[in-house]
Order: sequence, then structure tokens, then C-alpha cells
Amino acid sequence: MDIVILLLATVVGLYMAANIGANDLANAMGTSVGSGAITLKQAVVISIISNTLGAVLAGGYVTNTISKGIIDPAFLAGEPNMLMFGMFAALLSAGICVHLATLFGLPVSTTHAIVGAVVGFGIISVGAGAVTWSKVVSIATSWIISPVAGGLIAGGIYYFAEKRIMLAKDPLKASEHYAPFLIFLLFLVLILSLIFKGLGNLHLEFGFTQTVLLAIPCAAVAGGFGRWWIRWQMNSEHELRPEQQDYSPVDRIFAQLQVLTACYIAFAHGANDVANAIGPLAAIFSVVKTKCVVLCVEVPLWMLLIGGIAVGGGLLAFGTRVMDTIGKNITEITPVRGFCAQFGGATTILVCSRLGFPVSTTHVLVGSVVGVGIMRGMGALDLRILKNIGLSWVVTLPFTILLSMFLYKLFTWFLL
Amino acid sequence: MRLLLNSLFYKNPFENLQKHADKARECAQLFKDAAACHVKEKCTEFDELTDQVARLESEADAIKRNIRNHLPRGVLMPVDKFQFLQYLKEQDKVMDEVEEALLWLSLRPGGVPASLAEDFQHLVNSVIPSIEKLSVLVNMATEFFRSRSDRKRTEMKRLVQDIRQHEKEADFLERELKLRIFNEIKDVLVVFHMVRLVEIVGNIADHAQNASDRMRAMIAR
Repeated sequence: MDIVILLLATVVGLYMAANIGANDLANAMGTSVGSGAITLKQAVVISIISNTLGAVLAGGYVTNTISKGIIDPAFLAGEPNMLMFGMFAALLSAGICVHLATLFGLPVSTTHAIVGAVVGFGIISVGAGAVTWSKVVSIATSWIISPVAGGLIAGGIYYFAEKRIMLAKDPLKASEHYAPFLIFLLFLVLILSLIFKGLGNLHLEFGFTQTVLLAIPCAAVAGGFGRWWIRWQMNSEHELRPEQQDYSPVDRIFAQLQVLTACYIAFAHGANDVANAIGPLAAIFSVVKTKCVVLCVEVPLWMLLIGGIAVGGGLLAFGTRVMDTIGKNITEITPVRGFCAQFGGATTILVCSRLGFPVSTTHVLVGSVVGVGIMRGMGALDLRILKNIGLSWVVTLPFTILLSMFLYKLFTWFLL
Repeated sequence: MRLLLNSLFYKNPFENLQKHADKARECAQLFKDAAACHVKEKCTEFDELTDQVARLESEADAIKRNIRNHLPRGVLMPVDKFQFLQYLKEQDKVMDEVEEALLWLSLRPGGVPASLAEDFQHLVNSVIPSIEKLSVLVNMATEFFRSRSDRKRTEMKRLVQDIRQHEKEADFLERELKLRIFNEIKDVLVVFHMVRLVEIVGNIADHAQNASDRMRAMIAR
């Protein structure tokens, strides 16, 4: 029986991971493809590598939150099977929710779906008291705060780019001057999130001072290398692709920077979203392996690796066509705008991921794009989509809670 | 499958505004030809040119309606929506006035007295560049809102000043022509017809200038 559950859970977990890749990762990479900074093939390769690295190097914290933070394990101590069936029901109901949302084109977050499903299982199996409601409330609050934070960071970076670069007397010179600083900032956040206990999965832990002393010089080196890279790229006479023909010199520089933000956001996505599929799966594996509910599940590295690859595979299998559509249809995303949106989005996701808040990559990215739009940096944005996102916040939780409860009851009725 | 990012981006209304401005530019050329033809002794193409202008004006109206009907409250634009719609209104009035001028020309075949034909042609020619420059202005605006380049903004400001200058010239020619009409024409009917016609042609430059002023407001810092 355990093996069957294990196999089924793996299949559903991978299906969930593929769905996450097809939706969230495709959205995250869409701005890079849309601006023409990278090709569809490059986007897929960057996604698979960076997303997997993000899952492996910085993904553990959210995974723990999903599987352990929401439900108090003490209530399930004597009932390992309960946790196993519960997590399976949670995975399946979140998978169904995301699949339905994909079919009907609804802006439902995979993260919200899995959180709701875990809450549903907690309520039905032990009672509302088993759910750490304060944790659920803080997670739900982060869903509202994170798009706003993404918007503020992206809007702020755009404001800086417009004032200091685009409106400068010599925009090319200004962008050559400020681009290394932007690279420095990007790497600073990335390295901080990586080493400020983010490398826990590799059992490397640094204190605050060590982290800062390591991050600043590393980011400065990256900025210096970025300066050399940009100059080399601008001087080299490589042919521009058709979608890059109308690039201004500033766009050409930011197209280079957008390769970095593409890696950055795919990394952040891996750190944050792979957990949605792997968290419950890790809990199931732990129960099967130990036959008891332990207080702290260590998510195996191989599981994060497989999760990361499955998310990338989902993008490759189902997300490429929609990304291609974005690349062809949305001409409003320029490299500068795409850079700002991705920078704001990825930074917010990494910070939230570090704090243990599973946020929606897509919703944060939408917040970032709107942030750039509010700074008058986008052509025209349909803000009515925000109403749909708000509606999805209201609907997803009850739907997945109820579905998860129903599936859990069904499994226990048949199998226990 | 449809991505959320795809739904977030709305069709840029400047694309349609450019189409509208291009229709105005086409109209301007036809108007110039029609006016030149009308003051000649034998003009066979006037009706055909008028029909073409009417067709273009009707197509432009459809574009205008399309823009207005597809700018709901929830769409966020890089410019003030009110200014944008005011710009569209003025650009559309340019074409309305062109059509109106041709209508007034057609009401009295051979209605422009030979003594005034040359000055009338000058007046018509003076309003054409301002219409043509509107199209260039919209094109520049599209590029400016994309790149936010200061150089592009300066070019746009220069173009707005050019259009203002054309309007001044047209105003001057309009005044001069009116003076001549009242001094040289004795037939009241002809005076009424010519004054009305000259005012309508002058209005074309006024509306082009109003449009360019709206654009200037859109790019204000």
C-alpha cells in the first residue's frame, strides 16, 4: 500500500510541478522573451538550470513551511497514515485546482492552492485547532503584501532608470555607467539570499557579519565583470535578431542585463515554487520511511533536484507555446521595462522565500509590471486583471480547502 | 492555455491613433489636390477626390470609435487618458473640417473667384503641413513613450512649435483673404460663401494646433 501511495504521490507531485512550470515559470520568463532579450530556446535552458539551482540551493525554507508550518505535527503524532493520506489529498486537490484554472484561464496561484489544500486536510483530519492559523494569516497577508512590494521595487528601479539613464543627455554613456551598479544590486540580493542561511540545503551556514562581508565583495566583482561584459558586447559586432532590430543603444545594454534577470527570476522561482509540489511529497516520503510523524522533515536534496527539473520540464512541454505568443504579441515589453519588472519580482520572491512565505511568482510579477506601469513605463495595462487576482485570492482557499477535505475523507473511507 | 501576463497587456491605443493620424495625412493630400483642381477652369476629378476624402473620414471615424470604445476605466496608460482622448477629438476635427471645406467648395462649382484663387490656394497649402506633421508627432510619441528619450522629447517639442507656427501663418493668410473678400467682392452670396469657406480652412490649422498642444501636455514633465 505504501509503495502505491508513494508512486501515486510522486506522479501527482510531478504533475503539480509540471503545472507550476507551465504557468508560473512561463509568466516569469515571459517578460524576457517578450522584450526579445532572449530567445525561446534560451529561456527554456536558463529556466531549467536556474530554477533547479534555486530549488536546490535556496528552496528548503518554504518547503518546510508548506509541510510543517501550517499544521502542528503534535496533533498527528500517533497517526502517520493520516499525514500521508492528508498530504496526498492536498497535492491532488491543488493539482486539480491548478489544472481547472489553467483550462479556464483563471489567475489562480499554485502556491495559494497548495496552502489551502494543506489547511483543508488539517481541519478535516484533526480539527481547526491543528492548523496554525497565525501562520496561515501571515502567509495570506504576504500574498497581498508581496505584489505591492514587487511593484514598489520594480517601480523604483524604473524611476531610477528613467531619471538617470533614459532622460540623460547621453543615455548610452549613462547606461554604461549605471548598469554595473544594477548588476551589483542584483548579485547582492542573490548572494545574500543564497548564503544568509539559504545554503542550508548544502549544510553551509554563515552568520550575519560573515554573510555581509562575503556578499558585498562578491557582488562588486560581479558588477565589475558586468561592466567589462557590457563594453565587450557593445563593441562586438554580432548580428541582432529581427526582434532586436528596433533596439535603442540603451535597450541593447538592458537586453544584456535581462539575461541576468531571467536567470535571477528563474532562480527565485525555483527557491519559492518548487516547494509547492515537493513539500507535501517530502512529508509523504518521510512518513513511509520513518513510519512516524517527526517534528522536522529534512527535504532530501534529490527531491528538490527532481522537483526543479520537473518544473523546467513543465515549462518545456506546456509553457513554450504561450511564451512564444507573448514574444510575438506583446511589443510593449522593452528590455528596460522587462529588466525592472523581473528585478522587482525576483527580489521580492527571494526575500519572501527567505522569510518562509510561499508567495505566488505570477502575482508578484504582475505587481512588478503594474509598478513599472504606474511610473508611466508601460504602453497600456489592463488593471481589471487585478480584480480577477483578488477574486482568485477569495475563491482559491475555500475551493482547495473543501476539495482537500472531500478527497481526504474519500481516501480514508476506502483505504483505512 | 492563456498566461496571466498575456492578459495584463492591453493593446496600445497609440497604434490606432497612428492609423487615425495617417488617414488625416492622406486626407490632407487629397484636400490639396481637390482644392487645386476646383479653382482650375475644368476640373473632372473633384467629385472623385471628395468621395475619397469622405471614405477616409468615415474609416477614421471607425478608428476613433474603436479607440474610445476600448479604453475602459481599468486600463492604465502612460499618459493622462483625458488628454489622450482630447487629442483624438482634435485630430478627428481636423478631418471633419477637411470634409466640411470640400463640401463648401462643392456647393458652388466655380465658386472661388478667379482673383482670389491664388490666395485661397496659398491658404489651403498653409494648413497641409500641420496635418502631415500630426502623423509624425504621433509616431514620435509612440517612440518616446517606449524609450523615454530626452532627445525624442525635444524633437517632439520642436515639432509642436512648428505646428504652432503653421497655424500662425494660416491665421495671417485667413485674415488677409477675408480682407480681400470684403474689399473686392460685391456679391453678398459670394462673400458669405468665401468667408465661411476660408474660416473652415483656417479651422483645420486651429484644430491641428489644438491637437499638438494636447500632445505637448501629454509629454509634460
